[in-house]
Amino acid sequence: MIFYIIRRFLFLPLTLLGISLLVFLMIGLLSPYQRLATFIDSPERLKGADIDKLVEFYGLNDPLIVQYGRWLKNIFQGNLGWSYVGKEPVYDALMRRFPYTLELALFSIFPILFLGINLGVISSVNHNRPLDHGLRIFAVVGWSFPDFVFGLFILMIFYSVLGWFPPGNLSLWAEEVVKSSAFHSFTGMTTIDALFNGRLDIFWDAFLHLLGPVLTLTYVQFAFILRITRSSMLEVLQKDYVRTARAKGLDERVVINKHARRNALIPVATVSGQTIIGLLAGAVIVETIFNRTGIGSFMSLAAQQLDYASIMGGTLFFGLILVLGNLIVDISYAFIDPRVRLE
Amino acid sequence: MKKIWFCLLLGVFLVVSSCAFAQVKSPDTYIYLGIGEPDTLDPHYAYDTASGETIGMVYDNLIAYKGESVTEFIPRLSLEVPSLENGLIKDDGKTYIFPLREGVKFHNGSDLTPEDVEYTFERGILMDPYAGPMWMIIEALFDYQTIEDMVEDKLQVAWSDMVDEDGNLKSEEYASQLIDFYHQYIDPAIEVEGQNVVFHLVRPFAPFLSILAQNSSWSAIMDKETCVSLGLWNGEPDGWWKYHTLKKEESPIYEKAIGTGPFELVEWDRAQQRLTFNRNDNYWGEKPKIAKAVIWGIDEWSTRRAMLEAGDADQIYTPLQYLEQVKGLPGVKIEEGARITITALHFNWTVEKGSQYLGSGQLDGEGTPPDFFSDVHVRRAFSYAFDYDTFIEQVLQGYGFRVPSVIPKGLLGFNEALPMYEFDLEKAKEELQKAWGGEVWEKGFKLTLLYNTGNEARQTACEMLKEYIESLSPKFKIEVQGVQWPTYLDAYRSGQLPAFIIGWLADYPDPHNFIFTYFHSNGVYGTTQGQAFLDFARENLDSLVEKAIAETDDEARQKIYEEIQTIAYENALGMTLYQPIEVYPMRDWVKGWMFNPMRPGEVNWEGVYKEE
Repeated sequence: MIFYIIRRFLFLPLTLLGISLLVFLMIGLLSPYQRLATFIDSPERLKGADIDKLVEFYGLNDPLIVQYGRWLKNIFQGNLGWSYVGKEPVYDALMRRFPYTLELALFSIFPILFLGINLGVISSVNHNRPLDHGLRIFAVVGWSFPDFVFGLFILMIFYSVLGWFPPGNLSLWAEEVVKSSAFHSFTGMTTIDALFNGRLDIFWDAFLHLLGPVLTLTYVQFAFILRITRSSMLEVLQKDYVRTARAKGLDERVVINKHARRNALIPVATVSGQTIIGLLAGAVIVETIFNRTGIGSFMSLAAQQLDYASIMGGTLFFGLILVLGNLIVDISYAFIDPRVRLE
Repeated sequence: MKKIWFCLLLGVFLVVSSCAFAQVKSPDTYIYLGIGEPDTLDPHYAYDTASGETIGMVYDNLIAYKGESVTEFIPRLSLEVPSLENGLIKDDGKTYIFPLREGVKFHNGSDLTPEDVEYTFERGILMDPYAGPMWMIIEALFDYQTIEDMVEDKLQVAWSDMVDEDGNLKSEEYASQLIDFYHQYIDPAIEVEGQNVVFHLVRPFAPFLSILAQNSSWSAIMDKETCVSLGLWNGEPDGWWKYHTLKKEESPIYEKAIGTGPFELVEWDRAQQRLTFNRNDNYWGEKPKIAKAVIWGIDEWSTRRAMLEAGDADQIYTPLQYLEQVKGLPGVKIEEGARITITALHFNWTVEKGSQYLGSGQLDGEGTPPDFFSDVHVRRAFSYAFDYDTFIEQVLQGYGFRVPSVIPKGLLGFNEALPMYEFDLEKAKEELQKAWGGEVWEKGFKLTLLYNTGNEARQTACEMLKEYIESLSPKFKIEVQGVQWPTYLDAYRSGQLPAFIIGWLADYPDPHNFIFTYFHSNGVYGTTQGQAFLDFARENLDSLVEKAIAETDDEARQKIYEEIQTIAYENALGMTLYQPIEVYPMRDWVKGWMFNPMRPGEVNWEGVYKEE
């Protein structure tokens, strides 16, 4: 297994290089004037802009290979370039935003998995009974609800009407505390840092700001896990060893929880891994609606403005998450399912 | 069941809202929600309203607009507003004298001196970035558009032949020439005499005071000492070219702002697009009433609206299409204002080769020739074939009005009585029958109108024009196509658009800013209307535009501008669609709010406060 991991790690730089080349070529297909949209981002900015000089100045009409070489050279010097969308170096922009995405992912994944798996099991055990139908309808509604609709719905009820879950990362007073020198930042995730600093009031404030997006993400995402769990369970429940377990007079709860559910969880682990990776890449819509400054909304802005340094930097970052995430999923198979051997 | 839920929700809503709106939230802090964030805080680089707003809060200019006026000034860092009467404008309008206020301190404690003012303007002129606002100062003082143009003209050597990409000289011999250039032209233009700062213009320039007024970021006064220590131009003639033009991120004051103004910048959080300011308690003038100001870019409209509704924001940016959603919200009032801006459709008289928007590229019923719009009858027909009033009534919901040509209401040269094209399909038909010697009517044509997606007003304008033109004859075909901004920029810049709808927001409240932009052969939009238009402009318009700006008598200027607008009408140079009225929803508790058409942003930060 060690060799397997080492091999995957050796492939990592090659994978990233391939990704970067691909994305760069796609950006390169655009004309220099199109790419100037990074610097002239709206019709209003045409004022006073010497367009041809700008193209020259930012090297946009150099041959593609020269531009890629320039970017690559900077990468090897540890410089991801300047993000015109983030208005700071790409590395800083990513590092400043990722904790918010990570925090949201951490807080969302537990309810998603908990609800998805448990309701999935309940659904399958009550196969074709009213409870099963009810849960499935509930799940399908969430699954087919566009997140921008449901997010706005949550925002309206829990913020506009009830005043409980405000948008943004933190309240202004809490933000002041967090940015003061007395507050130590360990992870960049405010909830966790607040606990380390012993500031329960800040934790509570950050937590309230998290609930809206968490609720939205949970409802639109748990359905997928539920359906996978349910179908996998239904299949497992037909298996001989379940019948055997029942035949030897085991308690139904033991049959379900020990014999059936464990085996049914293998495909669930696969999709859970994908869900986690997806959450780590940022939830564009949810971040935008709740004004959470995560990596998703940043990347969507970068793509709209053709800010190639941000796009390339973000792509590398996503590539890294994807490769590492899949590696962890693969490794976890070996633990869940002893039949799997990593060679 | 639905009804029960609805009643329940309504009940909860009423109970909560009745207690939530009872009091002013955070009375000392004013929170404005906009979109985006400043582009840069370098005053000589900034050329967008978000940057201009921030710089205007932190920095002082020499003079400021008085209240809601755009023609009257009050002193700011200068003790007096120069005028012919007080003798501070001399030499027929070629010399301006500003007696500088004493005892003013920058936020970092250093004193304001006349040398700071001299340094500020010289640094801006020499730095002159490629997409920046400094052309205004350079035009006012020297009658050039860029410092590179000026150097090239005076020294007769191309800039790129003298200085390489990194700002180093290509040959040492140019050093002395460039130093001489500074001594001969730049240095004498702005001089310090005792406590006075004196500007020398090469010719009278009527809008000069407007270009210097508060909120013109390009004229914000910086501290020389601080700037030099941060790595801006060191103030030495030798080597000034190294500080000419920068990439946005290369400016050492990209994210810093140290001025003398009523607010101090506390933080620019670029991840959250949020700027926080504290009141400058040592401010020399009248101090702002609020202790803290927050400008927060929240791009999603629903979020902004929800925060206004909850009282967590005091004022929000609201595009017209969302107005209905805030009208009638409890605790919210809506103010209005008309900025000095117009939106117009202009024609490309000579479309560049290779345009994919002209169909076959010939007058064969399946396309249009590149010089289609160089025929005045075609332009007139288009001008008649648009229902301006219905557009304003329906699409802009009445928030806009017509102006005769490109000069907006409120400026010199504006005259309601000037002729305008009215919606008249009969006349449009007559004109098209005359166009191209009757060929257009006989054979028909086909072309594509582009708009950049997301701009619904422009999209509807294109579609209306299409409907009306196509209704004249089945042989006329217009396609309306929405493209992303980068594609639009590309097509626009490479001269491939047959016509384009574009707006212009006043840099300074003077007709020159509009007339030059649209009608002079060197204007930003003048240059993109094709070769045939340039020839026309050089022959008929350029000299008038230049005469108007050098004229100091307002009545004489008015006459020239009316003449230019009449030429524009007769030749159907463009279709000015509307001058918009903006809406500003804010909480009822906002007091002291005032609108000046030249203020970037939507809040008069010095005057607003909150009170139930």
